[in-house]
Amino acid sequence: MSARLAWIPWVLAIVAAAALAFAVGRFTMYSATGVPTPDAVDIGFARDMQVHHEQAVQMAMIEYRRAQDDVVRSLAYDIATTQAGQRGEMYDWLVQWGVPQSGRLMSWMSDSSGHDHGGASATEADLRAAMGMATDAQVDALSAASGTEADCLFLELMIRHHEGALPMAREAIDGASIPRVTQVAQTILTGQTAELDAMRSAQLRLGCTG
Amino acid sequence: MTPPPPEKRKSGNPARQAHIDETVKQQRERRRQEKLAEYNRQLAKRRRSRLTWWVVGSAAAVVVVAIVVASVVLTPRPVSYGAFDSTGATIEGVETFDNVTQHVDGTVDYPQDPPAGGPHNPVWLNCGVYSEPVPNENAVHSMEHGAVWVTIDPDRISDDQLRTLTAKLPSTYVVVSPYPGLRSPLVLSAWNAQLALDSVDDPRIPQFLEEYWRSQNVPEPNALCTGGVDGPGRL
Repeated sequence: MSARLAWIPWVLAIVAAAALAFAVGRFTMYSATGVPTPDAVDIGFARDMQVHHEQAVQMAMIEYRRAQDDVVRSLAYDIATTQAGQRGEMYDWLVQWGVPQSGRLMSWMSDSSGHDHGGASATEADLRAAMGMATDAQVDALSAASGTEADCLFLELMIRHHEGALPMAREAIDGASIPRVTQVAQTILTGQTAELDAMRSAQLRLGCTG
Repeated sequence: MTPPPPEKRKSGNPARQAHIDETVKQQRERRRQEKLAEYNRQLAKRRRSRLTWWVVGSAAAVVVVAIVVASVVLTPRPVSYGAFDSTGATIEGVETFDNVTQHVDGTVDYPQDPPAGGPHNPVWLNCGVYSEPVPNENAVHSMEHGAVWVTIDPDRISDDQLRTLTAKLPSTYVVVSPYPGLRSPLVLSAWNAQLALDSVDDPRIPQFLEEYWRSQNVPEPNALCTGGVDGPGRL
């Protein structure tokens, strides 16, 4: 190569270095800011756990007003405030991701448990029952109950409610792509498992027959 | 190689012995050949060197281009699930308003019919399906919490159509109620947004729900639509 063209490799090398710097910048930008794309599990969990938590807050607020037993009243207070906070965070996930709050219940759950969770034929009421949620009539019965009867009914409904949350949390732990979603799902799994123990021992202590 | 006669041997190295045995002419010819060979070697070396530069340079260029392309292609796309995510999508026929939130007792004269936001009763209406008209002032409070209020004209919406409609609605944060004197068979209202429709099969119903159901733009997003007051005829 003649001396007059010796600058060409240098220019090419500089262009290549600049291009590499650009690429490295892009790669580090989105890995450093940590914006993984939410998948169907992240979105479905954020939506359906809000629906689920909403009824837990409702029942816990009813029980908080009607409880006879102080321990159960404290548990109700704990559940209402914890789950109101959690569903607020889930609400904001969807806002930040720019996706609607609305979506078909349980469409993100696999059928590993053998239930037809997202089946097109299932009604909204079927899906809510599959999630361990109480019917409107059961919530009305809780509103009308008082004394130990209210405590026992609350424990019965809330135990089934918590049992419905656990498979959803497990599915999110397995399938979510956003680290915070996995973390919250783990918190729910751990926290509600502990609350299930507390509620079952309260049932025994109060002599609930349910 | 045939060894030289023993009487002429002066070196043990056959190549050196060959040089010793050469004539002057042969020596000149040999040096010329050596120079030519050296020249050709240098020429080939330069050619190889240039070829190496081309191969290495092209490969490097391809790699750099591939990395740049990958950095662009692999960048996560902004999530987009259609325009209907409470960010102001335009759905044909939707009217929007600027009502302000305020708690008041007694009845309110609303600028929209049915109401789509504004002053309201301190207690919200429990979400659900109602067979009788519900108090405006309580229903407006529910919309303040993010509920969609579906009002129907029972004379123009049959029971079958009502079942078709309710099957499309979420189980929470929705009030369905008949509304006397409704201007069209079906009106969907949310806080400061409204859509009048003729049919329960209108494709804009899911669009309206995506955009306005539990919108983050209501005054009290996330407040519950339970634990308030029931209207008459709650099913």
